[in-house]
This record gives sequence, structure tokens and C-alpha cells, in this order.
Amino acid sequence: MTEDLKPVSPAALGPDLTRRAFLYGTVAAGAVGAAGGPAFAQAAKTIEWWDQFAPLVPLHQKIWEEFSAKNPGVKIAYTQMNPADMMQALQLAFRSKRAPDIHSILTSDLSVTNQLSKAGWFSPLDASFNADTPFLKEALLEGMTVFNGKAYSFPIFSFRQHETSLWWTKPFMEQAGIDPAAGPKTWDEMRKAAQAMTKGRTYGLILPLQFTNRMANHVLDLAQVAGAPGRFDWRTGAYPFGSEPFVQAVEFLLSFQRDGSLHPASSSLDARQGRARWAAGEAGMFFDGPWNSGVVKGSFAQVLDTLGAASIPLPSSGQPAFTYHTPPSGEFWISSQCEDPAIATKILQLFTTDAYYVGLAERMDQPPLDLSAVDRANVHPTYKTVVEGFKKVVRLAPEPLIKNPNVAQVYAEMKPVTPGVGEIVQGAMGGAVSNVKATLQQYADKLTAERDRAIKVVKDKGVQVSLDDWVFPNWKQGEDYTASHYKT
Amino acid sequence: MAMGQGAAPASAGARKDGSAEEIARQVWQSRWLYVFLLPTVILYSAYTIWPIVASIRYSLLDWNGFDSDGVFIGLANYSELASDPQFWNAFGNTLMFLVLAVPLRVGLALVLAVALNDPRLPFVRVMRTALFLPVVTTGAIVGVVMRFVLDPTGGPINVALLDSGLLERPVNFLGQASLALYSAVAIWVWKWLGVTLIYWLAALQTIPKDLYEAASIDGAGHVEQFRYVTVPLLVPFLIIITLLTAVEATNVFDLLLTLTGGGPFYATEVIDIFVYRQAFAANIPRLGYASAAALFFGACIVLLAALQMAVRWQLRRRAGEAR
Repeated sequence: MTEDLKPVSPAALGPDLTRRAFLYGTVAAGAVGAAGGPAFAQAAKTIEWWDQFAPLVPLHQKIWEEFSAKNPGVKIAYTQMNPADMMQALQLAFRSKRAPDIHSILTSDLSVTNQLSKAGWFSPLDASFNADTPFLKEALLEGMTVFNGKAYSFPIFSFRQHETSLWWTKPFMEQAGIDPAAGPKTWDEMRKAAQAMTKGRTYGLILPLQFTNRMANHVLDLAQVAGAPGRFDWRTGAYPFGSEPFVQAVEFLLSFQRDGSLHPASSSLDARQGRARWAAGEAGMFFDGPWNSGVVKGSFAQVLDTLGAASIPLPSSGQPAFTYHTPPSGEFWISSQCEDPAIATKILQLFTTDAYYVGLAERMDQPPLDLSAVDRANVHPTYKTVVEGFKKVVRLAPEPLIKNPNVAQVYAEMKPVTPGVGEIVQGAMGGAVSNVKATLQQYADKLTAERDRAIKVVKDKGVQVSLDDWVFPNWKQGEDYTASHYKT
Repeated sequence: MAMGQGAAPASAGARKDGSAEEIARQVWQSRWLYVFLLPTVILYSAYTIWPIVASIRYSLLDWNGFDSDGVFIGLANYSELASDPQFWNAFGNTLMFLVLAVPLRVGLALVLAVALNDPRLPFVRVMRTALFLPVVTTGAIVGVVMRFVLDPTGGPINVALLDSGLLERPVNFLGQASLALYSAVAIWVWKWLGVTLIYWLAALQTIPKDLYEAASIDGAGHVEQFRYVTVPLLVPFLIIITLLTAVEATNVFDLLLTLTGGGPFYATEVIDIFVYRQAFAANIPRLGYASAAALFFGACIVLLAALQMAVRWQLRRRAGEAR
């Protein structure tokens, strides 16, 4: 119906039509269109869906089409977002009452999740939602996916992953004299490989320095394999950013610049631009998450056959190394501006099936919540390699929120502290930060002060919370911190 | 007495009624004037007055933008600004941008205008058009394009410098903290030079030719003519052109956001980008804090303009006394 009301140019209407008659006609057509709009809208329900999961689009599209076929009149309108702009777009959409019905929130920062929940951005999942697998039941945790006893979201990805797998193209690795199937194992090997790859206008390594959140995660992963516990030291509750492993991780990244093997344009690239230039052959190696094989298959298919990957390189060979990641938060959230959460829940329920987990693995994005689905899936060998690496390296970290759900209020109270680790790396690369250790320690001190302030504010309201909630004396290096650990 | 007391208000009321009628009659007579003014008044109120008023209110709130409204915290945002080194870094960068870019743009445009004002110069119109062309391009697009132009590996400037043997290693114009602001200034001056050039050309054409002829007869060469005829007559224009350019130099958000995003490590973060980062780019936005920063800087710009007007007034007064 609406297609009939397309604007027509005056010239197309013939010589007898005056400008005034055309204007009157246009106004009349607009009025008819406006009057007819709601009637047309009632005929079809459109679920607006925003996320940043580019490699998953075909899988999700198939699910949406099947849902629409079984539920005539329901359509899903998808918008793919650039991760760098996503939160800004959501804020503007919410404030102008044009929020999508279902959206991701990009960050796994629990303070953001809790502030958004507190601000009323989310609708709970409808009562029809069924968490029928043990791993899904375990993932529904208060303050993470559950608020005030109601489930709002659920993870689709496993916690057993990190963003710092090393990716390369085989000709570069051959040029460096390293087995292209295995790649460099240690920081020294990687550094030498990068030097050997640097010739003329091609470089050993490219980093997305402008995407500071990603850089912070790279440093965190590298610091953890160098011996740091995590974002805070679970044995004491202290922020460890000024500690030796963090300094070593930043110095390791800086060493590529000193060697001249870091792509000089890194300072002005985000992850997408960095990946594109790496795939174009401007650099030999690139740190990225497991989704890189999926993105390469979709956008840079010409280099897929030359792709090589390994788990995170270690400071030295022979020593066990681990990275620790907290239980996963939810991926998709139903917006509080969604008019029909029941329909949205029905769609989201389709994201909890075994077929979905296998399909998810085959899209080669983040590994599925049921990690065993990767074994049953038809995936590129590099994807299997990095997921196998995750099984060996990634362990479940303690989470204060699970120990005491009141911590959610502290997270919601905490204000962002800058410059963060990502900015500090950027500053060190750009010559603006000369003393890395001191600047990292300043960041840790500011975070400590901000957390202390937030705890005090929340305690003053009569809420039971303390710094002890960040302390886990029974945490042991190399072990998953499971539900039973919280009870002891 | 009673009658007198009663009569006076009646008389005043009659005058008041008459005055109101008179005003109404005048308004009706000029109704089309008000009708045509209405769109401007509405748009100006909606897009200038209201945002300023709203910003003043927001600056007194602790508001993350996720909630429908913030918590009133008085002047706490302003006192936090005073001790925030990142705000003062952005403030300093903005001032540095002004100090470098304004004299460069105004001076360079004057030199070019004097040269291009000579009708004997060949291809004058072509050169004027070429210099004006960047003005009509969008600032954000210039930022994106210049990232490629200044790229350390494939950018034509670095390629030319490396191929000619002038450099052994590429220059990271935008990635090196010590160079990034200067690079941004150079791009901004290039982009907006055409506007200032037009101002100066218009100003130069107000100078009567016979003054130059008289100076020439008195034996003044080109340099003397410029120094003793052109410059004194351009001083009033210089003040207004400088003010306009200074105001423009505080609105570089689109160019800098796409060119450097305020980096590396805040080296090119001017106030606009600081406000944007606090309000939109942070994981947890701080709309009240961003409003306070914007208002504080706005007040500084008003102060700057007032200072400039005071200097201008003082100069005029002195000129009057001299006469």
C-alpha cells in the first residue's frame, strides 16, 4: 500500500500541472499517507534488532526467517552496528524513544550492565523463557543476567575465550623462517618473527591502537600469561595495573615499535581497519579474538587459505600460563521500549538450542556457550586451533557480584576512570607517556579511590557491602573458580 | 475627595485601555512583520536558547544519560572540572590551537590576498578558486581523507618524502603526540584559508587606488606602500577578521574527531572532543559533567570576545583623541 505513495517529480506530471497544484497534491498525499500509516503498521509487527555480530548475520537471518514463516506478520529488521559507535547510537536511540526492541550492549563491563538495568533500559524475559540445559542454568546469575530475581538475558558465548590469539598469514611466517602451521610460541620468537617480516612497506605486527578498549584487553591477557591475576588481585582485592606483569605486557608491545616492526599507521586504526590492512598484506601478524576466522571468511576470503593462528604467545616457553575470565553476561537484551517482550522472548528462545550452538560455531565468531558444539561443527582449522587454546589457557575467574549481589550497586555507582590501560598504551606508543609503570600505578590508584568512594556511597544507604567482597582467599592459579568455591 | 480619588484611577484606566488598544492596532498593522519573524524566533529559541538553558540545568546534575533524569548536585561538576587534568589539557590544546592557527590563517591569507589582488598576475581567478575549494568540502570528510594523505605507509606525502630520499623512515604526522596537534593546525588552516582570503580581498578593494598612486609619486616602493598605506587601512578589518577566525578555531570538532579522535593520548583533544567523550563516547556517559565543561568554555569565549571588543573600543578612542 505505501509503495503507491512514492513522491513524483513535477516534470513527470505533464505540462498542465501548475507548481501550486503539485504542492497541494503532495500535501494531500502526505495527509493520506499519515492517516493510513497506523492501519498499515497494525498489519505487521516489526522487531527492531541491533547488534555488532557481523559474522553471525546469516545464521540469525535464517532463524528470523523461520520465525517469521511460523509467525506470519512478525518481521525482524536488523541493523549491524560498528562496535566503536554502538553505545553512542543506543544512548541517542533511548533518549529519543527510538530504541530497538532487541539489542546487544557491546561491553561486558558489569558496571555498565548494572547502570543500564538500574536506569530501566531492559525488559525481563517473558515467563515462557525456558533455561533447560545445565550450562544455561548456571549462566543465569544475579547482577549479570538476572536482576531482582528476574531473568533479563542469557549468554550465548562461552567464557572460555580471550581476544589475544595471534593470527598471521602463512607467506609472512615462511619469510620469517618459522613453521607457518605452528607460529611463534613465545614473546621473543614473535618479536624476532616480526623483525624478519618487516621489509620496505610491510611490517611484522599491526595493532588497533585507536580502539583503546581492545588494546586494554590485549594488555590484560598478556599480563595474565605473564603472571597477573586479572583486573584485580583476587587474593587481596587490590588493582594490580602497576605490577610487573602489566608493565612487561606494555613493554612487550612497545618493543615492536622500538624494533621498527610495528605498522606505523597502528596509532590511527581501530580493529576493523587494522584487520583490513593486515589482510591486505601490509603486516604479517595481528592480535584478535576467535571471530577473526569468521570475519576473514566473510570479508577477506582471498586470504582464508593462507590463514594461521595460535593461542596467545607466552613470555617464555615451558611454564603454565592462564588468563581468567568472569562468567559471561547476556548478549541480547529486550529493550524497555519494546512493545511486545513476549514475541522478543520467543525469538530469543531460539538462541538456546543445540542447533543454534552448532550453527554459532560454524559462523566462527565467539565460541558457543556449549563449547562441545565446536567439535560437531564444520569450521576452519584455525578456529578449532584457537578454541583448543582457550580450553588450555582460559580459566573461570571469581566475580564479586556472585559473592554478594549488592556489589551491583557499587558497580552502578562507579564512574569511569581515565586514562585507562588502552589509552596508556596509546600514549606510550605516541610518545606522550614516558614512565609506563608510574602511569599504570596512577590508574590503579585512581580506580582504588573510585571503588572506595562507591562502596562508601552504597554503604551510607544502608546496603551491606565491603572491600572483602573483592577478596577470594581460596582462589588458586590455574583453576576454574566454580559455584562451589563461593560456598567455601 | 472621594470623587477625586475615584476619578483618578478611572482616568488612568482609560489611558491604559487606550494604550493597549494602540499597541494592538500597531501589532495588527505590522502583523506580517511578526508572522515572518516567527520562524526565526521559534528556530532560534529551539536550537540556541533552549539548549543553552537546558545545558545550564544539566550542568548542575549527576546524570549518566541512561536514567530519565539526573540527581541535583549543585556546583560539584564545576569544582571537579577545576581539578580535572584532562579538562585542562583539553583547554590548553584549544588555546594552543587558537594561538597557532589564527595568526597563521589570518597572516597567510593576507599575504596571498595581497598577491592575488594584483590584476597583472596570471591565472588569478583560477588560483582564487583553487584556494577556496577546500572551504566547500565537509570538515569530517577532510579529516578522513587527510588520514590517508598523511598515512605513514601509503600516504602520498610520506611516499614522496621516502622516495625522494629526504627521509629514511616515515613520519607519523597524526600518531606521534608531539606532531599531531601541529598537523591538525596545518590541515585546518589549509581548509579554511579561502574564507579569510575572501575577507582580505574585500578589505583590500576598499582602499582607494589614488592613495597608492600618491605614494608611488612620493617614491614609495611595494614594501613601503604595503607598510604605510595598506596595513594602516586594514587594521579595522584585521580586528574583525581575527575575531571571526578565533571563533571558528574553537569549532573544530568534526575535523579533529575524524582526523585523530582527540588522540594520541589526548594530544589533540580540544574542548569539543572532551565534551563529546564525556557525553557520548564513554562507556558510562556523564552528561552533567560534559554540560559543565561546555558552559565553562563558552563563558571563556564570551570573555575573549568581550576583551577583544574592549581593545577595539580603546583603539578607536585613542584614534579619536589623536584626531
